[in-house]
Amino acid sequence: MTCEHLKDEYELHALGLSDGFERAEIEHHLRQGCAHCRAGLRNALITSVMIMQLAPDVEPPRALRKRVIASVGGGSSTDWGWRAIWATATAALMVGVVWLGIENRKKPEYTAQAKQTLAILNEPETRQVVFGGSVPVPPQGRVLVNAKHGVLLLASNLPKPPAGQTYELWIIPKGGSPKPSGLFQSDARGSAMYLSPAPVDMATLGAVAVTLEPEAGSAAPTSTPIIVAAMSD
Amino acid sequence: MFFFPLLFAALHSEGDRELAERLKRREPQAMADLYDRYGRVTYVLIFRIVRNTGTAEDLVQETFLRVWNRMQAFDSEKGALGPWILTVARNRAIDYLRSVDGRMAQNAFELETNEHPSLFANLETEVLNSDRARRLKIAFEKLTANQKQVIELAYYEGLSQSEMADRMKQPLGTVKTWVRSALKALREDLGEALAV
Repeated sequence: MTCEHLKDEYELHALGLSDGFERAEIEHHLRQGCAHCRAGLRNALITSVMIMQLAPDVEPPRALRKRVIASVGGGSSTDWGWRAIWATATAALMVGVVWLGIENRKKPEYTAQAKQTLAILNEPETRQVVFGGSVPVPPQGRVLVNAKHGVLLLASNLPKPPAGQTYELWIIPKGGSPKPSGLFQSDARGSAMYLSPAPVDMATLGAVAVTLEPEAGSAAPTSTPIIVAAMSD
Repeated sequence: MFFFPLLFAALHSEGDRELAERLKRREPQAMADLYDRYGRVTYVLIFRIVRNTGTAEDLVQETFLRVWNRMQAFDSEKGALGPWILTVARNRAIDYLRSVDGRMAQNAFELETNEHPSLFANLETEVLNSDRARRLKIAFEKLTANQKQVIELAYYEGLSQSEMADRMKQPLGTVKTWVRSALKALREDLGEALAV
């Protein structure tokens, strides 16, 4: 095909929508160094990007900025809204912990874990972030972090891990690399409660995140986080 | 149904070179600045495509992470951050729609290749041309209802022409005619500078 025949295909090609034959032809021209097709695609790209901006303006959720920044270990300013949520959530959490404590009396091996969980919930300096509250489908829940007792994650609506994968918790320092903080599974309904008992440096804590990783775990995240909880100072 | 374009980086493009360098050095504050500059327009585009707040938030995060992870391939001197981010954002949102719809990812390879950072060299000036944006808006409004629909299906739903024909219950040839005539009208109204 000549460039003249291809000129109506450039925009669709720029969008990834060109049909197989035309796509192959354009790619062939580009591989041959065709200046005409290169210029045509460049202009198509400009047109496409401009058309993308015709979308109606809407206001992004305020928490999104913090979430995006936290995903690379960046810090953010204090959000006192979470403090209010903490007060409301604590009562509900305590009910669960009492139940957990009763159950765990039957299982001595879990007693230490239950005590640590209770300590995280009880201590006033524990910091809490709620995630995924805007819609019902993505993972929802809360992360509680205590300097001495570690990180407690309570989550629901977790996506079912593909075969051979599991969830991995990450503690992300401000300006640092994510630190692997344990592997866990969800129940059949996609809910999970996970305690990472290692002490946490609250001064440098940027975020807590969860990714899907191979069952053996990873030294660094290999997938996009399914949960990111930005932790404010 | 559309509002006037945001001209997303018109006030910021001069600082993109420095910002790109900071992103390459993986400074977390650079991500904050990147979001402040392009977060809104990215969210607007993704929300238009997926029409769900939570999903849009996830995809915005994925978009910025993808840009962050691919910055080393970006030409700080010539590259246009805004157009690149928007293209990555659209691809992520279209990928999501396709996965939800169960559509085969037959164009997945193209979505990957059409967002390579090297494609976004020297685009900023043209994209930020407010006169061209105004002409595009006028040109779009002049399209017929069918032409507008196929443009929206292509840009905001990522449908191929065959998929548009199925959706609109029209012959493929008719849909192709609408697509080509719509793009031709937009291209022509955008002026000689974009004409090949």
